[in-house]
Amino acid sequence: MKLALASSPASVESARKQPAIQVSNLSIVFDTNRGQTIAVDRVSFDVAPGEFVCIVGPSGCGKSTVLNTIAGLEVPFEGDILVEGSRVYSPRPDVGMVFQQPHLFPWKSVRRNIAHGPRMLGKSRTEANAIADDLIAMVGLKRFADAYPNTLSGGMQQRVAIARALANQPRVLLMDEPFGALDAQTRAVMQDNLLELRDRIKATIVFVTHDIDEAIVLADRVLIMSAGPGRILREVAVKLPRPRSSSIMVEPTYLSLKKDCLDVIRAEGLRAFNQSDAS
Amino acid sequence: MKRLNILIGALSIPLFLCAWELVARSGVVNAVLFPPPSVVAVAVLEWVRSGQFFSDLGASLTRVVTGFVIGAALGIVLGVLTGQFPLVSSLLSPLFHILRPIPPIAFVPIVILWFGLSEAGKLFLVVWGVFFTVWLSTHIGVQKVDRGLIRAALMLGTPRRQMLQEIVLLGALPYIVVGLRTAVSISFYTLVAAELAGAFAGIVYRIEIAQQNLQTGQVMGGLATLGLISFIADRLFSALAERTVWWR
Repeated sequence: MKLALASSPASVESARKQPAIQVSNLSIVFDTNRGQTIAVDRVSFDVAPGEFVCIVGPSGCGKSTVLNTIAGLEVPFEGDILVEGSRVYSPRPDVGMVFQQPHLFPWKSVRRNIAHGPRMLGKSRTEANAIADDLIAMVGLKRFADAYPNTLSGGMQQRVAIARALANQPRVLLMDEPFGALDAQTRAVMQDNLLELRDRIKATIVFVTHDIDEAIVLADRVLIMSAGPGRILREVAVKLPRPRSSSIMVEPTYLSLKKDCLDVIRAEGLRAFNQSDAS
Repeated sequence: MKRLNILIGALSIPLFLCAWELVARSGVVNAVLFPPPSVVAVAVLEWVRSGQFFSDLGASLTRVVTGFVIGAALGIVLGVLTGQFPLVSSLLSPLFHILRPIPPIAFVPIVILWFGLSEAGKLFLVVWGVFFTVWLSTHIGVQKVDRGLIRAALMLGTPRRQMLQEIVLLGALPYIVVGLRTAVSISFYTLVAAELAGAFAGIVYRIEIAQQNLQTGQVMGGLATLGLISFIADRLFSALAERTVWWR
């Protein structure tokens, strides 16, 4: 499998091309035993091809729900979602997803797990295994190609999950707090790995997290969501140079961005607190 | 300390047998009702030498194995159907939940009415006992398959119609295997009920006959044999189970 180098992200040219993802007035309402809850309230945003967007917000703000809807896992919803120009109804092979838990198939080896996607798309066992071996090398797990998931650490399992999601060469990669279940050290290493990986794969990435540091380190653009019902409070462009690594977290440019984001988050936190206090 | 434990463990059964021998020979209890192990051993040897042991063993094992295979096959098929398809579950689960707690032994009179003294009746009892255990484990296993695995499979392009064979069956396998292992023990319990429903050969049958003739040594020998084959069957199955669920 040849990996194409990424074109320059979020440049003027890409903005003129059709967005990879278009979310317009997305609203999702859940029926609970206490009546209806508005999980997501008229969320709209676009993602340019090859762009890395992070959605950051507190727990329960609906950011995972938004991601699941783009993935085609959550229906029905109000509003429009277009991926690569076509409407989303159900899971599709050009959209890959990594979840907070690796959800590796426990009865398959690492190689077989990664080969699953290509096999479902009709590739032969040899072809699928070859694709898997390329990805195994890319995520640095060559020694574990025949190992079973229960023998791997959490970080290694997530690396396999990422490789598995990339096996069908998706145009869009959705990541739902993939490093949330890992310890701080592993998380930092995984963030750096993802940054390296991102420069090698030509995919649009939407990454959901509740960690503002993680969001700014990884993204080209950060979308800050309010607490439930989820709305987009602010879009912050992250104009930090690439290639990047987590070591950028001490730079003044980074810190000023972080301050801007924290101001927005703090203002929202205060508003939500006063609102719940008032009632 | 560990060595002491191993020593005591090894001596446990021999000590018990010696104690039994002494108590039985001491005259404290009626020797007819409570024979010592030496008498039991002689009775068993006679049973083996006459050849009846092997025909009894064969008859009992055939019933257990055939009943287990039929009951397990039905249990797995129906468990997958009720676990996977809500409509099927709504139709069958209430019925199965009501029938399941009825112990097979309670069916003996009606089995004799329906099947007379034929093998079919005994098979019915074993199948009944095995079926409900395997059905329930399979049903639960299919329902408890990690939803995350299914979502991951969907995102990788697995068509919904292939989800059962690709993900659900293997995901449910650990539960199914646990159900099967329980069913092995249950099939021996129901064997007792089955052979009480009028048999002409078999280990429990032999115990019955011996009891009627006050051959207590033979009774105990039969019980020990029953316990032994049940134990061996469980061990064999658990080794097989480990190999079937290869990823654990």
